[in-house]
Amino acid sequence: MKYLPLIWSGMCRKPVRTALIFLQVCVAFVLFGVLQGMKIGMDRAIADVRADVLYIGPAVVGGPRLRIAELNQLESVPGVKTASFADGMLTYYQKPTQSVYVLAIPPSDFFRTVAPRIFSIQPKALEALRKTRTGILITADIGRKYGWHIGDKIPLTTSTVQTNGSTTWTFDIVGMFSDHESGEASLVVANYSYLDEARALDKGTVDHFYAIASDPKQAATVSDAIDRTFANSASPTQTSSFRERSQQALESLGDLNFAIRWILSAVLAAVVFSTSTMMMQTVRERTPELAVLKTLGFGNGTVFVLVAAEALLVCITASVTGLALAWLAFPLAAKYIAGLSMPMVVVGLGILGAVLVALMSVSVPGLRAAKLNIVDALAGR
Amino acid sequence: MNFLKQLGMLLRMNLLGLPQNLGMACTTVIGVTCAVGVLVSMLAMGVGARRAAMGNVRPDRASVLSAGAVGPEQSNISKDVAGLIEELPGIRRNSRGQPIAVPEVSVFVSARRKGSGQLVGFPLTGAGARLTDYAPELHLTAGRMFRPGLRELIASNACAHQYRDFSLGDRPLMQGVEWLVVGNFDLGHTTGSCFVYADLDTVLSAFKRSSYNQVDVMMRSPTSFDELSNAIKGNPLLPVRLEHEAELAAAGVRQINGILNFVSYFVGTILAVAATIGAANSLYALVDNRRRELATLRAIGFSGAPVMAATLSEAILLSVPGALIGAALAWLLFNGRAASPFGFEFHLAVSPSLALLGIIWALCMGLIGGLTPAIRSARIPVSEALRAT
Repeated sequence: MKYLPLIWSGMCRKPVRTALIFLQVCVAFVLFGVLQGMKIGMDRAIADVRADVLYIGPAVVGGPRLRIAELNQLESVPGVKTASFADGMLTYYQKPTQSVYVLAIPPSDFFRTVAPRIFSIQPKALEALRKTRTGILITADIGRKYGWHIGDKIPLTTSTVQTNGSTTWTFDIVGMFSDHESGEASLVVANYSYLDEARALDKGTVDHFYAIASDPKQAATVSDAIDRTFANSASPTQTSSFRERSQQALESLGDLNFAIRWILSAVLAAVVFSTSTMMMQTVRERTPELAVLKTLGFGNGTVFVLVAAEALLVCITASVTGLALAWLAFPLAAKYIAGLSMPMVVVGLGILGAVLVALMSVSVPGLRAAKLNIVDALAGR
Repeated sequence: MNFLKQLGMLLRMNLLGLPQNLGMACTTVIGVTCAVGVLVSMLAMGVGARRAAMGNVRPDRASVLSAGAVGPEQSNISKDVAGLIEELPGIRRNSRGQPIAVPEVSVFVSARRKGSGQLVGFPLTGAGARLTDYAPELHLTAGRMFRPGLRELIASNACAHQYRDFSLGDRPLMQGVEWLVVGNFDLGHTTGSCFVYADLDTVLSAFKRSSYNQVDVMMRSPTSFDELSNAIKGNPLLPVRLEHEAELAAAGVRQINGILNFVSYFVGTILAVAATIGAANSLYALVDNRRRELATLRAIGFSGAPVMAATLSEAILLSVPGALIGAALAWLLFNGRAASPFGFEFHLAVSPSLALLGIIWALCMGLIGGLTPAIRSARIPVSEALRAT
């Protein structure tokens, strides 16, 4: 502690230089925080996705649609706890660029429990949907975007033709839900029964089924069992768990990990090089002062610690500032991947990184300071 | 003249002195190398995506979509309407006098990736008979074209390389039935993407579709667009609109390009700021090391302006090798590398214009980083510096 004034005066010797090193390290750690935060955040997002919720779609994309009549058969597959289904249609509001996806579900409690963190419906809203056949639930975002309120009647245009030949569907807004996954204000929830009764084609079919496996560990076995059950039916299926699906979706971001690693190594290499040159310069300039310290009786180790402490102090405070800024900038950078927040473990990693940067950059100049020969140094040789 | 002469001498002195300050010089060079290397290689993704989408675009080609559709996916054109479109004016005719109008229907199919076995979806396009007239860049490297009425298809070489069962002679299973791959082809500049074509009517019946997605037309000349577009607007039986091929292709990559460019510039700017600060810091140290020399020069009659200009030029000169190494590294490590973010497939392209952008970017870093140290170098008080040890 008693050395603190010494370290402080060392840092203030060239305030501009110290400030610039501080800024450079700080900026590097803003980048570290944002990129590493995204990587860890996405890995966590996958781990959080439930493995026991199964998604059952047609075996071939664009293949024959699944029939709702098969729901009973699905529920009787061993290992399936409950099952449900969903359908939907792509519509637009007023003009084709304002697309709205109408997700049509049975208004059962299944959808309240399936993924409450990313898709949550209050019991009251579900009750309202149950009562009004033409009802829809909207998100706060889409309400703001188009100026919709509960009680409004809204027309949505689509290519799905109604039995009366019309392609404009009118819905009544009866409640709200929140959706943290799609990110954009483009999803509304409607009654499946209304969609199925009113459409002219594809009656009695659904886009996909959901099933919950009673034992998450057996999810893969149950998936296979489901696909085997429907293999020879009119509409063969392809089953995968939610976790598998998000893994696949993020596997397409595989190059991202590579890019993040390459960027961060470039940044850290540049910063280590820069700080070590600066520490070198500092030690060279301060040779007479360091020699005076040694004359006064400071040991080799103490001199090394003094120089190292200076670098550590600058790097750590700069990295903390940088990580704080990264935390502020994170929502901006993560807006393309909805529902992502910066994990706190990144802060720990960042500070550890800062310590490493400081120690690496101080090793050579610090040793040089420690090994200083008093006579030579004072003579200016 | 005097200014230039002094500047030249100062610059020579500075540069000759650099080997003694190798660490400082390297700090600037390495910082700029990293910043430029990362920026150029990240922007190369955007360029690659754009090149894959826009490489084959021709000004004399256009597509007819249904009036309300945002893109080809939502577009829906009935057989009757497609028949009427073929007879419109402005459409080029092939050697046999038939209009080059190709109705297309796209259905989504899936295949398994070689190696990992992962299921991947991509469109299968059913195309009308005049596909080869419309797309002369389609170049069969093996086999022959598909024949009408048969479940035959041709797949791009990228498809054959990436997915199982799409090489000549393979029999992929789609919609529950076997198809025969009768040809593999290259499609102009789009080397990375998977394209599969089959006969229009065969796809319609196999996938139980009754209407097309779009009709691609080749016009007599790029200027025929207005003629054709007006003919469409003038006919109330045609609920369709005409789009330039370039516009449709650009719309397809606009979002991914937006994301890639945003990320590239976001990361690139942060790195550039760090490199600029590093450069400023090392230049400050360089100027400090040269206090005595500079003060001596001022004492013997050198004026402040050339001293400042020399420091600034040095900063800019130091950033050039950084830019060149950075761009070269990006080219060596990443040019032609396949990337598939968000399901798009393309090859990274480090183009000369990107390298130029990197160099300009680096010059800016040098200029901004060198500015304050340059002012400082010109302000060194003669007496104080001469006294300094």
